[in-house]
Amino acid sequence: MIWLETIANGILLGGLYALIGLGLGFAFGVMRVVNVAQGDFIVAAAFIGLYLYPWTPVHPILVILPVALIAFGIGILLQRLLINRVLGHDQIPQILLTFGLAIVLRNGMVAWFGANSQSINVGNMRFWGFNFLGMRLGVLPVVVLVIAIVLFAALRFWLNRSRMGRIIRATADDHQVVQLLGVNYRNVYAVAMGLALALSAVAGVLLAMRGSFTPYSGADRLLIAFEVVVIGGLGSFWGMFIGGIVLGVTQLLALKIDPSAGLMYGHIVFFIILILSPQGLSSLFSMKVFRK
Amino acid sequence: MSLLKVENLDVFYGDFHAVRGVSLEVNEAQTVAIIGANGAGKSTLLQAITGLNTQKRGAVTFEGKDISRMRADLIARAGVTMVPEGRRLFGSLSVEDNLRVGESTKRKGPWTLQAVYDLFPRLGELRKMQSSTLSGGQQQMVAIGRALMTNPRLLLCDEISLGLAPKIIGDIYRCFDAIRQSGVSIVVIEQNVAQACHASQHIYCLLEGRISLEGDPRKLAMNDITAAYFGTEQHS
Repeated sequence: MIWLETIANGILLGGLYALIGLGLGFAFGVMRVVNVAQGDFIVAAAFIGLYLYPWTPVHPILVILPVALIAFGIGILLQRLLINRVLGHDQIPQILLTFGLAIVLRNGMVAWFGANSQSINVGNMRFWGFNFLGMRLGVLPVVVLVIAIVLFAALRFWLNRSRMGRIIRATADDHQVVQLLGVNYRNVYAVAMGLALALSAVAGVLLAMRGSFTPYSGADRLLIAFEVVVIGGLGSFWGMFIGGIVLGVTQLLALKIDPSAGLMYGHIVFFIILILSPQGLSSLFSMKVFRK
Repeated sequence: MSLLKVENLDVFYGDFHAVRGVSLEVNEAQTVAIIGANGAGKSTLLQAITGLNTQKRGAVTFEGKDISRMRADLIARAGVTMVPEGRRLFGSLSVEDNLRVGESTKRKGPWTLQAVYDLFPRLGELRKMQSSTLSGGQQQMVAIGRALMTNPRLLLCDEISLGLAPKIIGDIYRCFDAIRQSGVSIVVIEQNVAQACHASQHIYCLLEGRISLEGDPRKLAMNDITAAYFGTEQHS
């Protein structure tokens, strides 16, 4: 039973990991931009959440709404003012730009907030639990998983059904041809980056509610995001979700066996999957991001 | 009045000087063909007109307005669109979604989803299909329909018969009359000289980036066209 409970908790954690990967994977799927600063944006979002949650009405968990909105605005500015300037066949300038941004952001946060470990306090909810099939599960992790699933499904639905979603999918397929049809792909990219950062920001705040973070946590977050995206198969939607769950379950099982292992076994599983199936798990499910 | 006027246009494709001092004109409701061998600069010329290629100098005037420095999406909104070489559909989108991306110019006009389905009834039956699963001819219809959905005044078609069966090429060229009657001028790039002469009221022949011959295809001698196409002899 204890193992089943560990797996269940791994799935709950994995949903959050999937959400961390979603922003990175979405930006890559639409723009072929690898945002190396994604991890540090996630941490920055956690800091914004830390300062906003005392003023959030009804329940502290609702702080994800204003933080997502702010992150959306920052994403649009980031794309318009910086990343759009270095777009081209060569991907190195984008990587260098976001890498530099990551360093600035991280050290800026250390200077501003200090290097102490922080956490967003959701009050009693942290200690609530319930019995399910003989397992004891926490309410907060379940809420977090539900939020992750809702965001995955909502993004998917919006991409498939809305006018803007259609234009985003078309731009992801061919950003040159959309211009012949009157679409300014730079604007589409700005919206996509806004969404990517908003999704990451939600992940960052939820992570800060479940655990703690410091200004240096960004590198770990980025690594998780990368692994989720690669395990899922670049640009695969539900593949990413499964990738997150694989990582979450592996990590908690490993911690049960070897309490000092940390994230190591997750990285090993990532490595094994990469060797066995370089296309990621999605080649097994063949469900591409923007494919119906 | 001419709808499109290109004067003394030079275009570079990377370091390559692909189009050299080309001037041409397209009138309202006219079909113009541009012929020429591979690498003559035909596609680069169209890319420059649509704004996809920005390494150019010279004047491009559309409806009396200079569009040579305009951004590609604004040129499309002004009423110039292109069916690109190789169709380049949005492969992960359905047929109908492909067509509806064409609404992005927000131009009003006769071309709606229903009008496109009336022109190509087959597309109506395939509207829910993913576009990458279609045959070449069907994909070409989607590409033309998608361009029409922008309600253009000028439709540029880059090699639309490439790799298609002769019967399908015939079908596609037959619908040009209906398109022209809706008030759209057409420029086609063709490698098939006979097809180009048959479909157009005026042809331009490109040779190594320059116009080597132009005129009414019914008045030009086939020998002169062949010579201008391959550059085999001097001509006036």
